[in-house]
Order: sequence, then C-alpha cells, then structure tokens
Amino acid sequence: MNIIIVGDGKVGYTLAEYLSKEDHDVTLVDRNQQALDKATETLDVMGVKGNGANVRTLLEAGADEADILIAVTTHDETNMVCCLAAKQLGAKYTIARIRDPEYTESISLLQNGMGIDLVVNPERASAMEISRLLRFPFATNIEAFAHGRVEMVEFKAMEGDPIVNTPIRSLPGRIPRVLYCVVQRDHDTFIPNGDTIIRPGDRVHVAADLITITQFFKYMGKNTQKVRSAMLLGGGHIAFYLARIIAGMGIKLSIVELKPETCAMLSEMLDEVTVIQGDGTDQELLDSENMREMGALICLTGRDEENLITGLYGAKCGVGKVIVKVNRLNYMDVMRDMGTDSVVSPKLTTANLILRSVRARSRSQDSVLEKVYRILGGEVEVCEFTALEGAPFLNVPLSQLSIAPGVLVAVLVRGKKIIIPFGNDHIESGDTVILVSRASKIVTLEDAFR
Amino acid sequence: MNFALVSQLLGKVLMLEGAMMAPSLLVSLLYGGSDAPAFLWSMAMVLAAGGLLALIKPKNDQLRAREGFVVVSVSWILLSVFGAMPFVLSGAIPSFVDSFFECVSGFTTTGSTLLPDVESLPRGVLFWRSFTHWIGGMGVLVLSLALVPKMGARSLHLLRAESPGPNPGKLVPRIGNTAKILYTIYVALTLVQILLLLIAGMPLYDSLVHSFGSAGTGGFSIYNLSIGHYQNPVFENIIAVFMMLFGINFTVYYQLITRNFKGVLKNGELWLYLGIIVAATLLIALNILPTIEGNLFDALRLSYFQVSSVITTTGYATTDFNLWPQFSRYLLVLLMFVGACAGSTGGGIKVIRLEILLKSLARDVKRTIHPRGVKVVKSEGRAVDEPTINSITVFFFSYIFIILMATLLVSLDGLSFETSFTATVSAMGNIGPGLDKVGPMGNFSCFSPFSKIVLSLCMLAGRLEIYPILMLVTPATWKKA
Repeated sequence: MNIIIVGDGKVGYTLAEYLSKEDHDVTLVDRNQQALDKATETLDVMGVKGNGANVRTLLEAGADEADILIAVTTHDETNMVCCLAAKQLGAKYTIARIRDPEYTESISLLQNGMGIDLVVNPERASAMEISRLLRFPFATNIEAFAHGRVEMVEFKAMEGDPIVNTPIRSLPGRIPRVLYCVVQRDHDTFIPNGDTIIRPGDRVHVAADLITITQFFKYMGKNTQKVRSAMLLGGGHIAFYLARIIAGMGIKLSIVELKPETCAMLSEMLDEVTVIQGDGTDQELLDSENMREMGALICLTGRDEENLITGLYGAKCGVGKVIVKVNRLNYMDVMRDMGTDSVVSPKLTTANLILRSVRARSRSQDSVLEKVYRILGGEVEVCEFTALEGAPFLNVPLSQLSIAPGVLVAVLVRGKKIIIPFGNDHIESGDTVILVSRASKIVTLEDAFR
Repeated sequence: MNFALVSQLLGKVLMLEGAMMAPSLLVSLLYGGSDAPAFLWSMAMVLAAGGLLALIKPKNDQLRAREGFVVVSVSWILLSVFGAMPFVLSGAIPSFVDSFFECVSGFTTTGSTLLPDVESLPRGVLFWRSFTHWIGGMGVLVLSLALVPKMGARSLHLLRAESPGPNPGKLVPRIGNTAKILYTIYVALTLVQILLLLIAGMPLYDSLVHSFGSAGTGGFSIYNLSIGHYQNPVFENIIAVFMMLFGINFTVYYQLITRNFKGVLKNGELWLYLGIIVAATLLIALNILPTIEGNLFDALRLSYFQVSSVITTTGYATTDFNLWPQFSRYLLVLLMFVGACAGSTGGGIKVIRLEILLKSLARDVKRTIHPRGVKVVKSEGRAVDEPTINSITVFFFSYIFIILMATLLVSLDGLSFETSFTATVSAMGNIGPGLDKVGPMGNFSCFSPFSKIVLSLCMLAGRLEIYPILMLVTPATWKKA
C-alpha cells in the first residue's frame, strides 16, 4: 500500500520502520531536513520536506493516490488539517493523532467534518493501560484480547516461584492452566515450547481468562489485591484521562504537579482527586505527602530521567507498584536491568494502534485482524484475528495444519469459551484466534496456516 | 569499514558484468568469431572472481555512506580492469594500459579512443566497447539495485554515489522500484532510438552501437569519421535529438509519465539546458556559416549536432570541429564544462550546479549592495539550503583544480597546451574528443602510458563526481574507527 506519514518524530519513525519492513511504500513528510535524512538513510522510505498541511507538499508526497495517510506531528491542529486536505485530495484512509482533551470531547463531530477515519489518542490509551495495571498490580504489563475475555499478563519470575527451573511440560497439574506465550531473557525474546525451562529473572507473558489468571497468581503467592491509593507525578494529559477512567473504581488518587495553573485546572475538572502543587522530584514533598503508604507510584512527567529516578526512589521506599512513563525506547533495556517493573510508552502504544489499523486494511478473505500487540523491546508480537466463513483452515485439527515456523497458536475464543488449544482442537468460523509470532511475519491468518 | 559486505557487493557487480558480456559474445559468434575465445575467457575470469567475492558472507549488512562510496569507486575500477580483458585477449589492443584506458573511457561514457583505425577491429570487440557505454551511462550499481531484490534499505548510498547531480534522490519510496523505473525509461528510450535509426535505413549493427553510444552519452563509434562517416543528415538529426534527450534529468520523463506537467514546467534546469543548446547552436551556426560549403540550414545542422554532442558529453562528430573558427571552438570547450542535467547519463559539471552557482553569485552581489538584506537562492521554487550551495561551490573548485593539476601532469609529454588542456577537460567531463591533436578526427595514442593513467583517473573522477575517487585515497576511509 501507499502510505504517507506526516511527522517524522519518534512515532513517525517507528511506524515508518515497521511499515516499510512489511513491504509498504512509505513516504515521510516533515519540515526538518535532518530528521528526514536520518530516516531515508536507514530505512527504505522516501522523504519529502515541507509542511504536511500544505497541499503542494501533500501532492508532492502523492497524497492523491495514497491508501493511508497518518498524521502524527506534534500539533493536533496540523494533524487535523493534514487529514482534511489529504481526504479532499483523494487519500483513501486517514489517521490522526489527537491528544488534547479539549478536542476529544467533541471528537466525533470533528472526525466527520474533517474526514478523519481514525483518531488515535496515545495519552488516553496509555491511561487505559495504567488503569489496568492498577487493577492487577502483580503484572508488569497487561493487555486485553477478545474484548477483555482473554488477558495477557507479563510478570517477572522469581527464585522460589513454583514455575521456575522445571520444563513447562512437566509442571505439576495443580498449577492453574495458563499458556506461556513469550519469554524474555537478557536481550533475547523467544516463544517457549514444552521443553523450555523458565529461570528466575525471566520476564514471562502468560495468557488465559481473567479468573484463571487471578488463580494462577494467587497460587504463585503474588498480591492479587487491586491498588487502593496511588500517587501520580505530573499533571499532563495522561493524568487527566487516568483520573477520569478510574473515577468510581475506589482508588484514591493524588496528583503532584509543578505548574499552579495546571493544578487549578485539574482541580476544577476533577472532583475526587487531591491536587498538590509542588516538584515531584522533591523527596521532602513526596515523604510529607505520605508516598511510602501509597499502593502505587506513577511517574508521568515529561522527562524520562526524572520519571526513572523517582520511580527507583519509590521502589526503594517500598511502594508496591511503580509505573514509569518513557518516551525514548532505547533505554528500555537499561530500565529493566535497574528493576523498574512497569513501563508505559505512549509512543509505542500509538505505533501499535496505528499498525493494527493499517494491517486491518490489508484485505483478507479468511480473517479479520482485530488487534496487534508488540512486546516492549522485543521482536515478538501477539495478533488477534477473527476467522471468517469459508477459510481453508476451518474445522481441521491443528496438528494437521502446517503452521508457519515460529508461530504459536495461543488461544481460541469460541463464544464465551476460552480454549488453550492442543493438536486435536480446530478453528471454527467466527472464532477469535490469538497468535504469537515473530514481528511483522503474520499479517493475515493465511500467513500462519500455509 | 565493513570489508565483508563491500566484497560481497563487489562480487555481485562483477558477476553482473560477466552476464553483460554475453551479448558481445553472441555478436562475435554471429560475425565469424575471431574474438569469441577472448570473450569466453574474460567471462570465465570475471565470473570466477565475482563468484569468489560474493561467497564472503558479511556479519552485518550495515551499509553506511562510507561503504557505499567505496563499493562504487572500487567496483568501477574493477569493472574497467575486467572489462579491458576482451581487448587484451583478442589482441585488438595488446597493451594492458591502453586497454584499461579504452575500457574506462567506455564505462565512464567518455568515448576517447586510442585507436587510430577503429574500423579494423573485430565486430564483437567493437560491440563490447559500445555496450560499456550503455552500462556505464545509468550505472551498474543502479542496475544491480533494480535486478537484485532487497539490497537493503541502506543501499540508497549506492544510488547516491553513482548517480550524477548534487542531490540524487528517489522517484518512489522503494529504492528497488526507483532503480527499475530509471532503467525502464532508459531501455525504452534506447529502443525507440534503435527503431528510428533502423527506419531511417541504418544497418542493425550500426544502429545498436550508435544508440548505445548516445544513450550512455558515450561517443564510441565504429568508424574513424564517427557519425560523419554516413554523410546522412537524417541519421545525424536522429542521433543529435536523442543525445539531447539522454542529457535530460530522467525525473522529467517520470514526471511526464505520471502526468505531472507542472513539475516539468517548473524544472529550471531543463529550461536552462535547452536554452543553452539553442543559444550555442545559433551562435556557432552564424560563426561557421562563411567557412562551410552550404546554406544556413547546413550550418544549423552541423552546429546543432556538435552542440548536442558536446553539452551532453557524448562526443560524436559529424565534421572536424577542430577546424572551425576560434570562437566556435572555444564555445564548445565552454560547453564541455557545463555538461548535461543532473540525473541524466551525461557528465560535466551539470546545468543545475551552474544554475545554483550563478544564482548565488547574483545573491552575493546583491548582498554587497544591501549588506543586511536576506535572500535565499531558489531552484525549482524551493530554497536551496546553504550546505548544498557550499558543497556545490567546493565541487566546482575541485573539478577545476583537478583539471588544472592533471593538465600539469599530462604536460610532461610535451604536447601543445591546447592538446593537453582540452584532453583533461574532455576526460574529466566524460566527453571524448578535445581540440588539436585529440580533436574529433584525432585520438589519444599520442600520450605516454603515465598520461593515459592520469586521464583514466580523471574520467573515473568525472563520472563518479570526484568524491568517491578522492575517498579511496583518503587514509581515514580505511581506518577502523
């Protein structure tokens, strides 16, 4: 497909990288020649210099014949105008990143008027992610599939956990049955099989329905209670969305923000939240606001370093759950080594969301792509498909299908039933199929069952 | 420096060259084949060398700008070394230095020859000589980008190092597709020219050879008198027009195909190029009118052919312009400096660089009048950024500097100033003939082997636009850090 990405920032670059590797023709538009040079030298994409909201620039980039235009500049307004102009010129599908809460309230109105087919709000999506982590503090990461019927949870295996140091196939039967999807060890990410032995320190992704997952973690002796109170550093968009989302969940939230005006605005818009004006990196302040007693510390300031340091301080003080937001993904490994457990990246979330909608537009007769989730810092992704009537792989036992190498059929969801499949299970029409595979290899279900 | 990757890419290029020798072998067999064994041996050698190099598996395929430039410059040298084999082995040009010169002259689309009597050469060798023009015109690495799928995203550096012009870029997002489009246009234009020449009555072999020569803007002919051999105005006009077409930036043809007429109209380089051709044609025609036998139309025809041939750096001749009045001779030398458009198959400094240089000169003059005035240099409706202007200025300097220094070295042979100077200008610009002894009816055999090497390096530097060759002799290129 012909894809134009306006805005060669972190998200734009990441998307260009993913999409060009999936054999799409990608054109990047940006006003910064240096950013474009870097992208065109390292990726097989074309760069066009100019303002993406300018019709001449858009035409030069080929917007009139574009299948998808993705607007991810820093300015919401530019993104909207880009989509509007591109749609008028003839682009088939437009995606805009819009983050300001002021716009999201009237988003459907804007969407129709501006010809934006999909609005991506990374801050809101990150807030959703954080709210899930607050509900399940035992997880470093949690991702819902099949409309919340299947959860995939990442956790760090510890010495003494019942699942470590034994091959997966010989784990005792009394451990609640979950599927071990992905294991990350040091800098390696791999899909485990029956012979894999999980070692202490590995980061493991398991999938199952909610009840089984909770039982599993109870058996492992982890805290399955949801967080009762949380302290949030940085009163940006994520803080606002998060407060809205968890309102009514019984979590006491206090937000620490430096700017008095922002504090006043937050206090005006959010009723059940304690807003504190002050520097979130000031230990005195954190201690006096009783951070040690909090169930969770969430660091959302604009600077990765501050978030990380404060997060480490919180973990040292014994806060049960620490969540850190980062913008630059290159530090992911370092952070993992330093012991910060939950990392939220709005950039990666955006890239995941957009990637999904782009893939969903690759036409397929046999399946519909519902969701793509790329494992942080790893070259593995989890995809959710719905199998459609007439596909050749329906009603054939899995053991008789030739499944592409490196692909794990993780979970089947049939109606309300959740199946962790074995060789004699089969896929039926309408089933939700969740696959784990190497990144960018599986775009449709047919790719998996050749 | 990623040596493994460089040698693997070199291997691929050499194997491609081996494949490219096949048509010449075929031609040689068709015409009796006294030179066929030479081709067989050359193909075996180049394929073996290429195959061995291609066996090396690089640990990573990180192709940085540095490797890109080295691959391009080394592969051009290797191409010429192996490409010279058929000349040596067939006995057509016994000396290796002479064969190397002839082959560099072919690949770089210069078209300077050492041979006093071209017509005595076997047909296969002559075909190969012209075919090197066609390969070298668009570039062999661009060809490998088009043919080999997935050379990797970073192969843009190869395209950049091989394509002429200040800012070679892509036409479409995929580099492989860009290379395919370029070659499709190239092949299509060449085929049209062959067809037209055939219709006009030129024999098939001749039209192939002369089409390769004009497509690559090379200039090797199979006759001692070049195109003048036919004394046929129709042939001359077809070739003159096509030389001019191949001197145009190929982006223009892509824009025409995609119906982006506005882009063509706004292309300042194109109009300046055509303008220079028209003006030079008129001036020369008026200047030579009293000296030739014939009317104004004959003068225009002769002058247009020569202007088109020299500005595109082809180097075909229909008449001995060395005998023209001084004004016309000098004007032609000036055109040798100008050269064709960026992104074409032609050489020289390139019209776009001249355009930007003239505009920045005007800008600087204005700046002395309004010391605080702000004015950007614009080309095709866009501002040209200062680093680009800077690099063009430096390019211009180094181009002139190399010509001056090379002339000094060539002067050791003790030939006239006109001969030495125009020989280096013509080598650097990939034109072919110069003036005086190296004029269109002369040849380069009067030079010593040392001068021939100097001129060969000039040709390579001119074709690859200096930097890849300069990089080769810079120690920092080869250091690990």
